[in-house]
Amino acid sequence: MNINSTFWFFDRIKEDNLCLLYNGDFSDEITNKLIELSEYNINNIDSLSKMKKKASFLMAECFQNIVRHGESLDGEIHATANEGFFLTKNWQDIYYITSGNLIETPKIDNLQRQLEKVNSLDKDELKVLYREVLENEEISDKGGAGLGLIEMARKSGQKLEYVFKDFSEKYALFYNQIILKSNREEKKPGEQSASFEIDEAIGYHQRMIEENILVIHKGDFSQDAIFPVLKIIEENLQREKKDAASKKKIFHILVELLQNISRHCVVVANKKEGIFMIGKSENYFVVNTGNLIENEKVDQLREHIDHINSLNGKELKELYLNKLRDRNMPNNGGAGIGLIDIARRLISPLNYSIQKVDENKSFLSLNVIA
Amino acid sequence: MIDKLDIKGTRDTPEIVFDPENNVFEISGNSLPEDSEKFFTPIFSWLEAYIKSPNKETTIHCKLEYFNSSSAKLFYQLFIEFEKIKESGNEIRIKWHFDSGDTLIEEKGLEFKSVLDIPFEMIEK
Repeated sequence: MNINSTFWFFDRIKEDNLCLLYNGDFSDEITNKLIELSEYNINNIDSLSKMKKKASFLMAECFQNIVRHGESLDGEIHATANEGFFLTKNWQDIYYITSGNLIETPKIDNLQRQLEKVNSLDKDELKVLYREVLENEEISDKGGAGLGLIEMARKSGQKLEYVFKDFSEKYALFYNQIILKSNREEKKPGEQSASFEIDEAIGYHQRMIEENILVIHKGDFSQDAIFPVLKIIEENLQREKKDAASKKKIFHILVELLQNISRHCVVVANKKEGIFMIGKSENYFVVNTGNLIENEKVDQLREHIDHINSLNGKELKELYLNKLRDRNMPNNGGAGIGLIDIARRLISPLNYSIQKVDENKSFLSLNVIA
Repeated sequence: MIDKLDIKGTRDTPEIVFDPENNVFEISGNSLPEDSEKFFTPIFSWLEAYIKSPNKETTIHCKLEYFNSSSAKLFYQLFIEFEKIKESGNEIRIKWHFDSGDTLIEEKGLEFKSVLDIPFEMIEK
């Protein structure tokens, strides 16, 4: 995972209130946490709270489709191939849910027919079809009956947007996007219309696959928002079969980095905004974080990180113990020793870049491998 | 005798039981509050009173699963406060419990041990 990816993603999703991208394994535990996190986010946005139930239902439906119809690669392409993609995003008062999963190429025709059929029907016709399928159709061997698609169309009140994208000789990626709008008729003067296309989401997924990125989260970095994220990571670590000590180490690094964003980022519209990404590189985990900082703090931060990077393990330990004994606490709730403690546990120096965004703010990217 | 301090643990704050009457002093669970100072303030207030008339022997059992770096700093300050008990001729010691193989918690214990002037016992489970 490249350090430049942080700004690449941040720049594209900076207008969003929140954006969560996930590219990986879809177990029940993980999907539950993804829903929990999305619900938490929805609850915190006034214009969205009314559609919480609907959004949760639609997300669950998407996940079930991935779990039921998604194909595992069984090492056919490459051992780290991931099974599914999921995106939730809120921009103004519009909520997007995009999912993607692999399907076998011969199954495309049938799925496409189902989608075309669903999209050709109006509200009442969908209701009739729903009943028909419920009463008559045999349940397919994967437990679905096309009901999911019908329900998605009914609940969202929109045509289903979908794309099939070539993946390999045997498989294609099936993407599907649902758009939820809060119930209001009139547009505010000067308001732009929704511009987020499914192709853009597919572009994000491609980049996540190329760089082996598991999770990207842009949004609020308060403790309540961070916790479900940590749980998703913990769940993924369980599956990695790593020993307890390295799991704890990665957890520790994440906590420190996420709390650093929370303490040091520029607060925009009452929210602590930042982005973080978790990826894999061979046997290591890679964590990227990005957040806006005030220009006047840039020099001090550079000095701090450069100093940390100039020290060897023993010197870092000395510095850590000195800071531990230092009676002065910074006034932001932190202890000023987070980065030092992280640096002791990395396989390479703290990689960082700072780029000026405007007169007042710069974007700080951190990239660590553990 | 000062009333006992009993703080229930949460998702991100530790359980604290300082009970002079039964001579039980225990810190357990997770400690990763975003604002550690805020959480620790009432504990320091309690300790200020306890130090004035401590038990003859005080043994703090630390059974922490995880704590962040800002909590580490406040635990250190807490132990330094407890150390004052020695000035009035009473005894203080720390027993640091950690699971076998939990290198993070073990290492954190050894670090405290190296900077504190208090009998500090490492107990591996």
